[in-house]
Amino acid sequence: MMRTILLTALLASFACGANATAMPKGDPVKGKADSTTCAACHGEDGNSKSAEFPRLAGQHADYLYNALSQYKSKQRKNAIMGGFAATLSRQQMADLAAFYASQKGLDHKY
Amino acid sequence: MSLNQTLNNPARHPATWPRTLTKNMKSFTNQTRQLSQLSATLLLLAISAFCLPAAAQAGDPAAGKAKAFACTGCHGLGGTKVAYPDVYKVPKLGGQHAAYIVAALKSYKAGERFNETMKAQATLLSEKDMADIAAYYAADKK
Repeated sequence: MMRTILLTALLASFACGANATAMPKGDPVKGKADSTTCAACHGEDGNSKSAEFPRLAGQHADYLYNALSQYKSKQRKNAIMGGFAATLSRQQMADLAAFYASQKGLDHKY
Repeated sequence: MSLNQTLNNPARHPATWPRTLTKNMKSFTNQTRQLSQLSATLLLLAISAFCLPAAAQAGDPAAGKAKAFACTGCHGLGGTKVAYPDVYKVPKLGGQHAAYIVAALKSYKAGERFNETMKAQATLLSEKDMADIAAYYAADKK
Protein backbone atom coordinates (compact mmCIF):
# COMPACT_ATOMS: atom_id res chain seq x y z
CA MET A 1 0.00 0.00 0.00
CA MET A 2 2.73 2.41 1.11
CA ARG A 3 4.67 1.47 -2.00
CA THR A 4 1.73 2.26 -4.27
CA ILE A 5 1.26 5.68 -2.65
CA LEU A 6 4.95 6.49 -3.03
CA LEU A 7 4.98 5.36 -6.62
CA THR A 8 1.90 7.42 -7.44
CA ALA A 9 3.45 10.47 -5.78
CA LEU A 10 6.64 9.95 -7.75
CA LEU A 11 4.76 9.63 -11.04
CA ALA A 12 2.66 12.69 -10.23
CA SER A 13 5.78 14.75 -9.51
CA PHE A 14 7.25 13.71 -12.87
CA ALA A 15 4.01 14.64 -14.61
CA CYS A 16 3.95 18.07 -12.90
CA GLY A 17 7.59 18.66 -13.81
CA ALA A 18 6.85 17.91 -17.43
CA ASN A 19 3.79 20.15 -17.45
CA ALA A 20 5.71 23.07 -15.99
CA THR A 21 8.06 23.18 -18.96
CA ALA A 22 5.78 21.80 -21.67
CA MET A 23 5.89 23.87 -24.81
CA PRO A 24 2.64 25.40 -26.03
CA LYS A 25 1.75 24.77 -29.68
CA GLY A 26 3.50 27.48 -31.70
CA ASP A 27 1.96 29.46 -34.56
CA PRO A 28 4.60 30.38 -37.19
CA VAL A 29 2.45 33.21 -38.62
CA LYS A 30 2.14 34.91 -35.23
CA GLY A 31 5.83 34.18 -34.66
CA LYS A 32 6.79 36.01 -37.85
CA ALA A 33 4.74 39.03 -36.73
CA ASP A 34 6.60 39.05 -33.40
CA SER A 35 10.03 38.58 -34.99
CA THR A 36 10.73 42.16 -36.15
CA THR A 37 12.90 42.90 -33.08
CA CYS A 38 14.82 39.64 -33.53
CA ALA A 39 15.42 40.37 -37.24
CA ALA A 40 17.84 43.22 -36.45
CA CYS A 41 20.47 40.72 -35.30
CA HIS A 42 19.25 37.28 -36.46
CA GLY A 43 18.16 38.30 -39.98
CA GLU A 44 14.64 38.46 -41.39
CA ASP A 45 14.32 34.69 -41.84
CA GLY A 46 16.77 33.73 -39.09
CA ASN A 47 19.81 33.53 -41.34
CA SER A 48 21.92 36.12 -39.52
CA LYS A 49 24.53 38.06 -41.47
CA SER A 50 26.84 38.59 -38.48
CA ALA A 51 28.81 35.59 -37.19
CA GLU A 52 28.38 36.88 -33.65
CA PHE A 53 24.65 36.07 -33.73
CA PRO A 54 23.49 32.48 -34.29
CA ARG A 55 21.53 31.33 -37.29
CA LEU A 56 18.04 30.31 -36.17
CA ALA A 57 16.56 29.34 -39.54
CA GLY A 58 15.78 25.63 -39.62
CA GLN A 59 16.69 25.09 -35.96
CA HIS A 60 14.52 22.68 -33.93
CA ALA A 61 11.54 24.54 -32.46
CA ASP A 62 11.84 22.85 -29.05
CA TYR A 63 15.52 23.81 -28.80
CA LEU A 64 14.71 27.46 -29.59
CA TYR A 65 11.84 27.46 -27.09
CA ASN A 66 14.14 25.99 -24.45
CA ALA A 67 16.86 28.57 -25.19
CA LEU A 68 14.37 31.45 -24.80
CA SER A 69 13.03 29.93 -21.56
CA GLN A 70 16.56 29.65 -20.18
CA TYR A 71 17.29 33.26 -21.10
CA LYS A 72 14.10 34.32 -19.36
CA SER A 73 14.92 32.35 -16.20
CA LYS A 74 18.50 33.74 -16.31
CA GLN A 75 19.81 30.16 -16.33
CA ARG A 76 21.49 31.06 -19.60
CA LYS A 77 23.29 34.35 -19.18
CA ASN A 78 23.37 36.88 -21.99
CA ALA A 79 22.89 40.63 -21.57
CA ILE A 80 21.06 41.11 -24.90
CA MET A 81 18.89 37.99 -24.97
CA GLY A 82 18.08 38.13 -21.26
CA GLY A 83 16.43 41.51 -21.80
CA PHE A 84 14.36 40.43 -24.81
CA ALA A 85 13.28 37.07 -23.41
CA ALA A 86 12.03 38.75 -20.23
CA THR A 87 9.35 40.54 -22.28
CA LEU A 88 8.05 37.36 -23.98
CA SER A 89 5.19 35.11 -22.86
CA ARG A 90 5.49 31.32 -23.17
CA GLN A 91 3.08 31.40 -26.11
CA GLN A 92 5.13 34.09 -27.90
CA MET A 93 8.30 32.03 -27.40
CA ALA A 94 6.59 28.99 -28.91
CA ASP A 95 5.33 31.09 -31.86
CA LEU A 96 8.80 32.52 -32.54
CA ALA A 97 10.33 29.04 -32.27
CA ALA A 98 7.79 27.67 -34.74
CA PHE A 99 8.47 30.50 -37.19
CA TYR A 100 12.28 30.09 -37.21
CA ALA A 101 12.05 26.29 -37.34
CA SER A 102 9.94 26.59 -40.51
CA GLN A 103 12.61 28.64 -42.33
CA LYS A 104 15.37 27.18 -44.50
CA GLY A 105 18.89 27.36 -43.08
CA LEU A 106 20.61 25.06 -40.60
CA ASP A 107 21.05 21.37 -41.22
CA HIS A 108 22.42 18.23 -39.65
CA LYS A 109 25.93 17.28 -40.53
CA TYR A 110 27.37 13.79 -40.52
CA MET B 1 93.46 34.32 -23.11
CA SER B 2 95.75 35.28 -20.23
CA LEU B 3 96.52 38.87 -19.26
CA ASN B 4 100.06 38.48 -20.61
CA GLN B 5 98.82 37.31 -23.97
CA THR B 6 96.38 40.20 -24.06
CA LEU B 7 99.08 42.73 -23.33
CA ASN B 8 101.42 41.19 -25.93
CA ASN B 9 98.75 41.14 -28.63
CA PRO B 10 99.03 44.42 -30.58
CA ALA B 11 95.35 44.34 -31.48
CA ARG B 12 94.39 44.16 -27.83
CA HIS B 13 97.08 46.50 -26.43
CA PRO B 14 95.77 48.73 -23.63
CA ALA B 15 96.38 51.72 -25.90
CA THR B 16 93.62 50.48 -28.18
CA TRP B 17 91.12 49.98 -25.32
CA PRO B 18 89.37 53.36 -25.56
CA ARG B 19 88.67 52.70 -29.26
CA THR B 20 87.35 49.21 -28.56
CA LEU B 21 85.24 50.60 -25.74
CA THR B 22 83.69 53.24 -28.04
CA LYS B 23 82.95 50.55 -30.64
CA ASN B 24 81.32 48.33 -28.02
CA MET B 25 79.30 51.23 -26.66
CA LYS B 26 78.05 52.05 -30.18
CA SER B 27 77.06 48.45 -30.71
CA PHE B 28 75.37 48.42 -27.31
CA THR B 29 73.40 51.57 -28.16
CA ASN B 30 72.32 50.05 -31.49
CA GLN B 31 71.19 46.87 -29.78
CA THR B 32 69.22 48.86 -27.22
CA ARG B 33 67.52 50.83 -30.00
CA GLN B 34 66.63 47.64 -31.87
CA LEU B 35 65.33 46.10 -28.67
CA SER B 36 63.08 49.06 -27.93
CA GLN B 37 61.75 48.99 -31.49
CA LEU B 38 61.05 45.28 -31.12
CA SER B 39 59.24 45.73 -27.83
CA ALA B 40 57.14 48.55 -29.31
CA THR B 41 56.10 46.22 -32.14
CA LEU B 42 55.30 43.44 -29.68
CA LEU B 43 53.23 45.83 -27.58
CA LEU B 44 51.27 46.93 -30.64
CA LEU B 45 50.67 43.28 -31.59
CA ALA B 46 49.50 42.49 -28.06
CA ILE B 47 47.11 45.45 -28.10
CA SER B 48 45.66 44.53 -31.50
CA ALA B 49 45.25 40.90 -30.41
CA PHE B 50 43.39 42.12 -27.32
CA CYS B 51 41.13 44.38 -29.39
CA LEU B 52 40.21 41.66 -31.90
CA PRO B 53 39.15 38.63 -29.86
CA ALA B 54 36.94 37.32 -32.68
CA ALA B 55 39.96 36.82 -34.94
CA ALA B 56 41.86 34.96 -32.21
CA GLN B 57 42.01 31.47 -33.74
CA ALA B 58 41.59 30.35 -37.32
CA GLY B 59 39.89 26.97 -37.41
CA ASP B 60 40.86 24.08 -39.67
CA PRO B 61 37.72 22.24 -40.88
CA ALA B 62 39.65 19.07 -41.75
CA ALA B 63 41.18 18.84 -38.27
CA GLY B 64 37.78 19.75 -36.87
CA LYS B 65 36.09 16.80 -38.55
CA ALA B 66 38.34 14.38 -36.69
CA LYS B 67 37.89 16.25 -33.40
CA ALA B 68 34.10 16.36 -33.84
CA PHE B 69 33.87 12.58 -33.49
CA ALA B 70 32.44 12.84 -29.98
CA CYS B 71 29.92 15.48 -31.11
CA THR B 72 28.36 13.30 -33.79
CA GLY B 73 26.86 10.96 -31.18
CA CYS B 74 24.24 13.63 -30.45
CA HIS B 75 24.60 16.34 -33.11
CA GLY B 76 25.00 14.02 -36.06
CA LEU B 77 21.70 12.18 -35.81
CA GLY B 78 18.55 14.08 -36.64
CA GLY B 79 16.17 14.38 -33.71
CA THR B 80 18.40 13.21 -30.84
CA LYS B 81 16.97 14.62 -27.63
CA VAL B 82 18.39 15.97 -24.41
CA ALA B 83 16.53 14.22 -21.58
CA TYR B 84 17.62 16.27 -18.58
CA PRO B 85 16.68 18.74 -17.13
CA ASP B 86 14.24 19.47 -19.97
CA VAL B 87 13.44 17.35 -22.97
CA TYR B 88 14.26 18.97 -26.31
CA LYS B 89 16.17 18.13 -29.47
CA VAL B 90 19.88 18.91 -29.57
CA PRO B 91 20.53 21.88 -31.87
CA LYS B 92 21.46 21.52 -35.51
CA LEU B 93 24.98 22.78 -36.08
CA GLY B 94 25.44 22.35 -39.85
CA GLY B 95 25.84 25.84 -41.35
CA GLN B 96 25.97 27.64 -38.00
CA HIS B 97 28.44 30.55 -37.71
CA ALA B 98 31.87 29.40 -36.46
CA ALA B 99 32.29 32.40 -34.14
CA TYR B 100 28.96 31.58 -32.47
CA ILE B 101 29.88 27.90 -31.97
CA VAL B 102 33.18 28.92 -30.33
CA ALA B 103 31.32 31.41 -28.12
CA ALA B 104 28.80 28.71 -27.13
CA LEU B 105 31.54 26.20 -26.22
CA LYS B 106 33.35 28.85 -24.17
CA SER B 107 30.21 29.75 -22.25
CA TYR B 108 29.53 26.07 -21.47
CA LYS B 109 33.12 25.78 -20.20
CA ALA B 110 32.71 28.96 -18.13
CA GLY B 111 29.36 27.80 -16.71
CA GLU B 112 27.36 30.62 -18.34
CA ARG B 113 25.29 28.03 -20.20
CA PHE B 114 23.97 25.06 -18.36
CA ASN B 115 24.18 21.56 -19.79
CA GLU B 116 26.21 18.90 -18.02
CA THR B 117 27.11 17.00 -21.19
CA MET B 118 28.21 20.10 -23.04
CA LYS B 119 30.12 21.39 -20.04
CA ALA B 120 32.01 18.11 -19.77
CA GLN B 121 32.78 18.11 -23.49
CA ALA B 122 33.80 21.78 -23.66
CA THR B 123 36.11 21.39 -20.66
CA LEU B 124 38.13 18.84 -22.64
CA LEU B 125 38.66 21.22 -25.56
CA SER B 126 41.46 23.72 -26.11
CA GLU B 127 40.76 27.01 -27.91
CA LYS B 128 42.30 25.52 -31.06
CA ASP B 129 40.05 22.44 -30.80
CA MET B 130 37.00 24.69 -30.46
CA ALA B 131 38.03 26.75 -33.51
CA ASP B 132 38.61 23.59 -35.59
CA ILE B 133 35.30 21.98 -34.62
CA ALA B 134 33.46 25.27 -35.26
CA ALA B 135 35.10 25.60 -38.69
CA TYR B 136 34.00 22.05 -39.54
CA TYR B 137 30.35 22.64 -38.64
CA ALA B 138 30.29 26.11 -40.23
CA ALA B 139 31.61 24.82 -43.57
CA ASP B 140 29.35 23.36 -46.26
CA LYS B 141 26.32 21.68 -44.82
CA LYS B 142 26.92 18.01 -45.65
